[in-house]
Amino acid sequence: MSTPGADEGAIKTEDSRSGNSFFGDAWVNFKRWNLKAVRNPFVLVVSLVQPIIFLVLFTEVFGNVAGGAVNQGIPGINYETYLVPAITIQVALAAAITSGIGLVNDIENGMFEKVLVTPMNRTAIFVGKTAAELFRIAIQIAIILVLGLFLGAEIVTGFVGAIGIIAVGILFSLWFVAFSNTLAILTRDQESTIIGANLLQFPLLFLSSAFLPLAALPGWIQTFARINPVTYGVDAARSLMVDQDVMTVIEVSWFGGTLDGVVPGVIVLIGLDLLFGGIAVYLLSRASSSDVK
Amino acid sequence: MPPGMEDQPELSRNGQRPDIERAKTYTEGGTAIEVDGLELVYSDGTAAIQGVDMTVPEGEFFGFLGPNGAGKTTAIKVFATLLSPTSGTVRVNGFDVRSESRKIRQTIGYMAQETSIDPELTAEENIKFACEAYGVPRGERAERVSELLDLVDLVDVADKGAEEFSGGMKKRLDAATALVHRPPLVFLDEPTTGLDPKARNRLWEYFRRINDLGTTIFLTTQYLEEADQLCDRLAVILDGQIVAEGSPADLKREVGGEVLDVELEGGPEVRAEAATIAREFDAFSDAKVVETEEGISVTAQTARQYGTDLMVAFRDAELTVTGFNIRTPTLDDVFLAITGEELETEQMETDQTGVSE
Repeated sequence: MSTPGADEGAIKTEDSRSGNSFFGDAWVNFKRWNLKAVRNPFVLVVSLVQPIIFLVLFTEVFGNVAGGAVNQGIPGINYETYLVPAITIQVALAAAITSGIGLVNDIENGMFEKVLVTPMNRTAIFVGKTAAELFRIAIQIAIILVLGLFLGAEIVTGFVGAIGIIAVGILFSLWFVAFSNTLAILTRDQESTIIGANLLQFPLLFLSSAFLPLAALPGWIQTFARINPVTYGVDAARSLMVDQDVMTVIEVSWFGGTLDGVVPGVIVLIGLDLLFGGIAVYLLSRASSSDVK
Repeated sequence: MPPGMEDQPELSRNGQRPDIERAKTYTEGGTAIEVDGLELVYSDGTAAIQGVDMTVPEGEFFGFLGPNGAGKTTAIKVFATLLSPTSGTVRVNGFDVRSESRKIRQTIGYMAQETSIDPELTAEENIKFACEAYGVPRGERAERVSELLDLVDLVDVADKGAEEFSGGMKKRLDAATALVHRPPLVFLDEPTTGLDPKARNRLWEYFRRINDLGTTIFLTTQYLEEADQLCDRLAVILDGQIVAEGSPADLKREVGGEVLDVELEGGPEVRAEAATIAREFDAFSDAKVVETEEGISVTAQTARQYGTDLMVAFRDAELTVTGFNIRTPTLDDVFLAITGEELETEQMETDQTGVSE
């Protein structure tokens, strides 16, 4: 029988660590969270199936009606093309919520503490987890883009534009990943995290340029849309989609073209990522430190 | 000086369990845990640990015995670098908990009180993840995983999701993940709480096996029986202080034998009469007798042999015995003997092994 005592000497002489690097530690966690995502049907349903239902229902139900309003702002595009960038942002938003849920589950089932007593680098632990989530978001956005093409949407900028849209989606998701992790640490409760993050999802989406041009919406929504991160993400992604500057809330003419619609949005998103990321990192490091709480 | 220590000097000095049967090899006689003046105060002002000094030599099976809230988990978290001490010094495997915490984490296994496994992964994947997290060399991982699955008898369910496991299986899996890097020191925080006796006995078997192979084990428990079964030496902790230290046999000797609870019909005068009879009973040379709500409680070395004779004596004195129970001392009895204080009722754990009528 091969028990750990097969060679008794080995028990006493502690095995020296193979010397996992920072990236080695991050990779270990990256793999674990990817495996968990594949195993957990909830993750996929909430963050992919729901946006797909939105994409199909909205284009089928509102396509004819909304097409006119859309064409006033951006002549010559169909509603599918208008909607796909919004759905990519919705995917990013919905998938980001599951990041906080994963953290709460880890706290609840003891894995959070278990990982903290391992010699892994603390930063690498969270970098690995976040990387797994961003990787998943990138794949989900790609699925939405393909589905959109199938439904009749057109990515005018082609493959490069598609990569750009995925990049915008990832930048957009980061602040919400940070936000859902912040909720997770503060509430340490799965239901509260889901409710808190989900409650925000629909107001954020509807009170923005996601589903209809701002010009077609009531004044108060236009006002709210200016401070709504979704507007910046959607307009940046949409500018890439249609190869025009369709950013509606910031007017710049630095580049004279599509990038005028993309760059301001990206700058706003990076700012949000740094702000929310900073808060989440602070809370995470406090939660994982050995200082008496 | 904690209460009770003055009266029992022999407890703290008595190192090894005299009746130890398992032959163990203590290599070099190094020190696994060295604690000097440890204090831990939570930010809300709760002083969870108030001045603990202790030493655990390498290879020992050491236990922390105490009720809920005594500070057991806090202490183990300090040793496992999850909590930083407020004052005092703690060295684990020769490393300082404050400045060399990562080195400690490399050389210890830690099993938390709450079972800690990833329910979305299979048994094998849980152990594999632990192997990677502890940096077990790639070439040794497969062998280590199958070794540990075998040790904790989970080979047949290696590919099953841990979510479906019973409480005992989850605990065993948890234990396996704490051993992937073959740590010379393992912390077990109330490892058998909530398990049925069969599952508990099985875990005990694994812990003994690991300890026999030379691993130092630091265990916390609420059960005297568990400490008795496993530990070479133990410390009794109450309100953040060590109130007694010694072998399980020392502690039980402190209680003064086995406990005979007798229920009697009638009022206080009947109980007083019964207590007098029990005190003067020849077969119990050193009996401790206390009156309880329903009758009396007699603690004596020979309680099991001569308990029935005492019942006969009661009958001869025309007292009506409505029930009796002979049991081994519980944690409650130990505390009563050591501190003179009863544990609060919700902290009491009566694992009675005696006969009832």
